[in-house]
Amino acid sequence: MSRKLVEIAGKRLSLANLEKDLYPSFGFTKAQILEYYRRMAPFILPHLKDRALTFKRYPEGVDGDFFFEKRCPGHRPGWVKTAEVRQDDGGLRTVCLVNDLETLIWVGNLASLELHVPLARAATPETPDFLVFDLDPGEPAGILDCARVALILKDLLGNLQLAGYAKTSGQKGLHVYVPLNRPETTFTDTKTFTKAVAEIMEKNYPDLVTAKMAREYRQGRVFINWSQNDGAKTMISVYSLRAREKPYVSCPLAWGELEKLAGQGDPARLHVLTAEAVSRAEKQGDLFREVLAAKQRLPHL
Amino acid sequence: MVNERAIHGIWSGTISFSLVAIPVQLVKAVEPGRVSFRLLHDKDYSPLARRMFCPREEAMVPPEEIIRGYEIGPGKYLTVTDEELESVSPERSRTIEIIDFIDLAEVDSVYFDHPYYLIPAKGGEKAYTLLAEVLFRTHKAGLAKFVLHEREYPVLLKSTEGALALITLHYHEEILGAEDISPPEAEADAAEKSLIKTSIQKMLADFDPRKYADARRQRIIDLLKKKAKEQGEVEAPAAAEEAGEGPADLIAALEESMRRVKQQ
Repeated sequence: MSRKLVEIAGKRLSLANLEKDLYPSFGFTKAQILEYYRRMAPFILPHLKDRALTFKRYPEGVDGDFFFEKRCPGHRPGWVKTAEVRQDDGGLRTVCLVNDLETLIWVGNLASLELHVPLARAATPETPDFLVFDLDPGEPAGILDCARVALILKDLLGNLQLAGYAKTSGQKGLHVYVPLNRPETTFTDTKTFTKAVAEIMEKNYPDLVTAKMAREYRQGRVFINWSQNDGAKTMISVYSLRAREKPYVSCPLAWGELEKLAGQGDPARLHVLTAEAVSRAEKQGDLFREVLAAKQRLPHL
Repeated sequence: MVNERAIHGIWSGTISFSLVAIPVQLVKAVEPGRVSFRLLHDKDYSPLARRMFCPREEAMVPPEEIIRGYEIGPGKYLTVTDEELESVSPERSRTIEIIDFIDLAEVDSVYFDHPYYLIPAKGGEKAYTLLAEVLFRTHKAGLAKFVLHEREYPVLLKSTEGALALITLHYHEEILGAEDISPPEAEADAAEKSLIKTSIQKMLADFDPRKYADARRQRIIDLLKKKAKEQGEVEAPAAAEEAGEGPADLIAALEESMRRVKQQ
């Protein structure tokens, strides 16, 4: 085992196994993963800040076993910021807050390729800052069908004076986020709203959309998973890596781009790898900036 | 997993005795390898939550209405608040002050509670190595008092494979007397005695902890892998799956918006 000592903002970190290839069929080492997160830190950190991190760790790489960890590990460095959150059983859980570069690199060093966070901040666990339409295609439906659904959603929301923002899930689907950023929002509101939208989509596009989780409805359709709008659920963070055969990223796409790429009919164009995610972010800035900033009110609730 | 662990501790401070002070960090020495399960409702795989139930009211009790009571007799309690408990908790230790050095063999292992490693902090490497070496050569251990997680423990500092380990000890009053469990005096004859002696000699080996893996844990993990492959996972339902009646105004606004989308 090899170790390398680095110092970030005066904090010392011992990085292990930097040469280990964690995406063996593509070729992407731990060093490259940490370099990706270092370069993307200005873009990803605002979206992780003050939110309870769920680790998804792949110590043996994407082909090996992984494990979920919601608790902040006891062996964390003293400078990692934490919060106490209420668990389902009423007890308290200490969670990590990824608020700075050194914590992001420490998390990456634990081979937590995927960074999942809740829709609410740890200090205000009942207040979602945004709502989410999680578009999950059921075979043989794919990401192009998701793009169609996302573009309809955008128009539907636009008629209600609501702006939405799309990103790839980094797996097979797309996510549409609607910023709210109002202290009075509750998960009951966001769930009621997204469920009503999902059902009206299902009613109008029965061959394309389902609002039901049961497998028999999902085949060949895009499942609008509105149930993600829940205090106990997490979403893959924008700009997080995914643990697939290649280092795909959950990457924002401007609506115009999504329309163009979907129009080309090539699903591969809608899967974004690390190099492309970096160049997009550095060129376009954070297309998800408004998700944390725009204040919008849900109508008729 | 050990190699993935950042070498930062759960506590940092100094070991001190007479005029020696060694800066150190405390890290966990064991990570329990238990495989844990969620409890699910078998008809639809909903994960279940634990709730506190008041049998008298036949109702769930929210966390803010739950307090602690120490039972002093049937139905009689002394209530204690979190603040009161905190006020009697010892202050965090800054040092591990060694009071005595003792023979390691003198400590019955029944007193051993939880092991940690100490690792040297900057500037402490030399004294640390020296202490670890001397303790190892002389089979001695340091005894100290130490506060961790709001509890004060007697602790033992011993050498382990060139490093220092800290083991929290049980208090004497926590140890159940062996006199309760040892059998009454019984005379063994010479033949029995020598049988036991030679059996032990025949089976004498060096202690190699690597020989003993947690077989049940491994079998559970193998079982889970097999099930993942053969049977696949089950999925919990979304809350309230039934086709829903949203608020009428919202439904009407969405219908109207949808009509306009389709006209485009």
